[in-house]
Amino acid sequence: MKNRLRVLRAEREWSQADLAERLEVSRQSVNAIETGKFDPSLPLAFKLARLFGMTIEEIFSDEA
Amino acid sequence: MERRVGSPARYRFDDRFLFIIVPLFLLDAVLGGWAFHYRHFHPTGILVYVCAALQSMPIIAFIVVLGLYLAEETDEFMRALWVQSLLWGTGATLAVTTFCGAMEKYGQATHMGGGMIPFVFYIAMIASLAVNTWRNR
Repeated sequence: MKNRLRVLRAEREWSQADLAERLEVSRQSVNAIETGKFDPSLPLAFKLARLFGMTIEEIFSDEA
Repeated sequence: MERRVGSPARYRFDDRFLFIIVPLFLLDAVLGGWAFHYRHFHPTGILVYVCAALQSMPIIAFIVVLGLYLAEETDEFMRALWVQSLLWGTGATLAVTTFCGAMEKYGQATHMGGGMIPFVFYIAMIASLAVNTWRNR
């Protein structure tokens, strides 16, 4: 699954650690999501969407 | 902004490991050393069960502490890493004990004591966790 997390984070000038703090997860989790190694659960995806004021579909897209 | 080094669940795991697992290991080591020193010590009756149960306590406690960590950890990625490491530990333990059992059957190796099996599990799990953490640093 592709995502725009890195871009959205960079637009806000947040580091991975800043985003991790806001999401209450580890920095490694943010890195894994950004690099596509790990797909977040629905609750975490909703948390991300709320944080960026977007819908889940605007952040994540199916690769197919 | 204050940085999260570890989750509250991870801190609780560390505390439980330090104050429950480590003392049990030390007790196990003392028991093992004592049994080695008194080689002709052959407990009987209820003492056999007590000695055997004491030696299995570290692994039982470790699984309980690990289970509590997995239940309490809210960071799903870290939980996934630990579950992967748990699988590697279990797989390595099964593979090593099967290999050693076969070698013993063919007369190419001496019997591996049951007390060694938990160490295979811990080493494999810790190594896997270290590699996983490094890969996702």
